[in-house]
Amino acid sequence: MEKLIQILTECCPGIDFANETALIDDGLIESLDIVTIVSELMDAFGVDITVDDLTPENFNSAESMWDMIQRLK
Amino acid sequence: MSFTSVTYIVFLVALTVLYYVIPKRCQWMLLLAASYVFYCCGGVKTVVYLLFTTLTVYAAGLLLGRLNAQRRSLPDGADKARLQEAIKRRKKAVVAAACLLNFGMLYTLKYWDFTAQLLGRALNRSLPSLGLLMPLGVSFFVFQSIGYVIDVYRGKQEPQRNVAKFALFTSFFPQIIQGPISRYNQLAPQLYAERTLDYDKLRDGIQLILWGFFKKLLIAERAGVVANTVFDNAGQYPGSILAAGTLAYCIQLYCDFSGGIDITRGTAQMLGIEMTENFRRPLFARSLTDFWRRWHITLGGWMRDYVFYPLSLSKPFARLGRWSRGHIKGKAGKILATSLATFIVYLLIGIWHGSSLKYIFFGFYNGIIITVSLLMEARFVGWRSRLHMTDDSRGWNLVRIARTCVIVFIGRYITRAPRLLTGLGMLWRTVTDFQPSALVSGSLLGLGIGVMDYVIVICAVLVLVLVEYAQERGVHIRQWLAERPAGVQFIAALVPLLLLLFCTGGDYVPAQFIYAQF
Repeated sequence: MEKLIQILTECCPGIDFANETALIDDGLIESLDIVTIVSELMDAFGVDITVDDLTPENFNSAESMWDMIQRLK
Repeated sequence: MSFTSVTYIVFLVALTVLYYVIPKRCQWMLLLAASYVFYCCGGVKTVVYLLFTTLTVYAAGLLLGRLNAQRRSLPDGADKARLQEAIKRRKKAVVAAACLLNFGMLYTLKYWDFTAQLLGRALNRSLPSLGLLMPLGVSFFVFQSIGYVIDVYRGKQEPQRNVAKFALFTSFFPQIIQGPISRYNQLAPQLYAERTLDYDKLRDGIQLILWGFFKKLLIAERAGVVANTVFDNAGQYPGSILAAGTLAYCIQLYCDFSGGIDITRGTAQMLGIEMTENFRRPLFARSLTDFWRRWHITLGGWMRDYVFYPLSLSKPFARLGRWSRGHIKGKAGKILATSLATFIVYLLIGIWHGSSLKYIFFGFYNGIIITVSLLMEARFVGWRSRLHMTDDSRGWNLVRIARTCVIVFIGRYITRAPRLLTGLGMLWRTVTDFQPSALVSGSLLGLGIGVMDYVIVICAVLVLVLVEYAQERGVHIRQWLAERPAGVQFIAALVPLLLLLFCTGGDYVPAQFIYAQF
């Protein structure tokens, strides 16, 4: 999880990824950020994230992204 | 049947009364009948294209639904992965066929003549042009239907099994002319729901329609006369008048398109249906990317979900991303693949608008600015911090809004001019031969409208900007009005009504909506 937060902070500085729970719903991250985050996550965790996984529920918080990564592993 | 005609108002009033009077289970059927009557009023011959899209996409949805069910019911076993893969291939073939048929139809109708012209010039021989009649709102209903197919393919949406109900989704009359491009899960359940009259929604709908008329009839029609005069006789005017004509076109386009969408959404609200927003105060956009998030939102959303994401996450783009991260240092390496996908999306948005080199150029123009600003972002942040400016700084935000307005303004020279070279020539003359004195020498009064019209446009635009500024600051105008005393509400309804009654008509014949041609 620590590694995930570090990656997210590098992709989108200035967002409190540890506590935010509505990253998509509140418009804190947008399509370009999502694609950057996805490519970083695929490299860092060796998972294959497809367009079907791009739902707000999977990207609204660091925790939901972590759950998605665990599911895809 | 134009939204601004008396016939439409009579049609809408009759439909609304009937909608709430007939048995609730028949309401969606009435909407379907009304939608086809509305569409046929624009031309009976072109209804065949709407039916083609409806039937092919309906069939594709059913096939995909069957394949999705097969995939879900596969028993566990050694063969499961292989069978899943086979089903996936068949699903892809169904989506490809639906896209090929419908985008093929769109291409033939909208782009073939242009392609024949270009190819003919390149090959030095004449290729036959088809000269087909453009069906009303073809780009809108094709895009909306393909969105549905992809949603069913992805398993996010169950297919609609009733062909008449599906036909209502593709033909729902308020949106057929100029969008918004709705999503099935957002719009369709509302279309089929049984409803009783909700006075608040009826009132909101009427208010929104009036606001749309205000933008279209008071502002867009007058600004359009100025824009048409300038662009039709561009060679006669100095740069300052060309700039004034382009500004008039910017005002016309926004008020025409967003006014039309207000009438669309207001009409749907009267029937108890909430349609998605298509504009969010683009005047206050702080960057070109932000502008496209606020302008024609549903087209941007469609492109994001059905083009940008699949493209960015495709294998070739993933390979390009890996290569660039390894070979190009810094942020440029990280976002090269994303930037390329962004560029392609904006190019497609440009081409979506029409079959002309100017729209391809317009796509390049937007794509290049957005891609360069992405690649230069880190440098911009550095410059800003050296000037002690933050994202919250009021001055900096004003600069950003002004910068975006200028970028959009320049783009409009290209899209409004009859040809790309004419637009570029006008832009060049604006820079090299401005002649500011022409603005005060009375030339503006020779552009087709009189002093009173200018006063009306300026006052109406001021009202529009003030309302949008209040909305930008979080004020809900209609809610605020609803909480005021009855007298204030009455005046707020009466003033625009009187303005519409006494300041429209005359020499102006309300024109078709600009986006209806797309």
